[in-house]
Amino acid sequence: MLKIIKVTGNSLSPFFLSGDFVLVSTSHRQFKNLKEDDLVVFFHPEYGRLIKLITKNYPDSENLKVTGSHEESISSHKLGFIPYSDLIGKVIFHIKQPRSM
Amino acid sequence: MFYKLINTIDHIRPFSTAKAHCDVPCGIYDPITAQINALTVVRMMDLMSGLSEGDAKSKTEYHNSMSRYIAVKEDHAEKAKHEIRVIWGDFIKDAHVEKYPELPGLVHKIMQIGSKCRQTTGRDNGLAFVEAINQFAEIFWAIKEMKIKKAKAPYAPGLEMVYPDL
Repeated sequence: MLKIIKVTGNSLSPFFLSGDFVLVSTSHRQFKNLKEDDLVVFFHPEYGRLIKLITKNYPDSENLKVTGSHEESISSHKLGFIPYSDLIGKVIFHIKQPRSM
Repeated sequence: MFYKLINTIDHIRPFSTAKAHCDVPCGIYDPITAQINALTVVRMMDLMSGLSEGDAKSKTEYHNSMSRYIAVKEDHAEKAKHEIRVIWGDFIKDAHVEKYPELPGLVHKIMQIGSKCRQTTGRDNGLAFVEAINQFAEIFWAIKEMKIKKAKAPYAPGLEMVYPDL
């Protein structure tokens, strides 16, 4: 199944800006094959719904480590492990807003 | 072009959002505000008690001071309850309650003792209010994985408080 989700905040700038949209595949079958630098949307118990980059996938324990790309992003240490059960989906397409030159 | 189309749809019927914030929401939660409000409640109880024992003041001054102490006690008991409700509603998540199953009962207890502090002048209620909010602070800082220290507040009524050990 596919979902369109709007990005808010600048943790993933300059690649993703606040107001961009992403197309997300919510199929659970793909989670074990997620790899470093894939983008995922997930639910975090303290921060709510987040979009972050994967730094490591642990398919055996069904957990991920994630990070933002901006220096002010929440550290992966602060976010902790993200269990597959909290994953909403993998970003498969980026709908960019026009960038000013 | 495609962005414009999606953005237009979003304006009509908003899509779900995913946050890429550095810290969301602001993440500034601290039970110290509730703790200080609860301390103020005990302080007002002490002032009320001291005032009723003396007879040096004129009747008008007595009523003026007493009314002010009552109003501040009333206000700060409610503020303490409000601060706890904010942390309870906005910060505490299911996972925290699973880890600290005593939390719902403790929050309910704080609400009840807070009301008792408004209804009565008994210092024991005020002390119980401070103690319950200190317990809440202990759990809060444990959730934040921060060490705590206990120390007497550096102002009257000088009760023992729970602080993060920064």
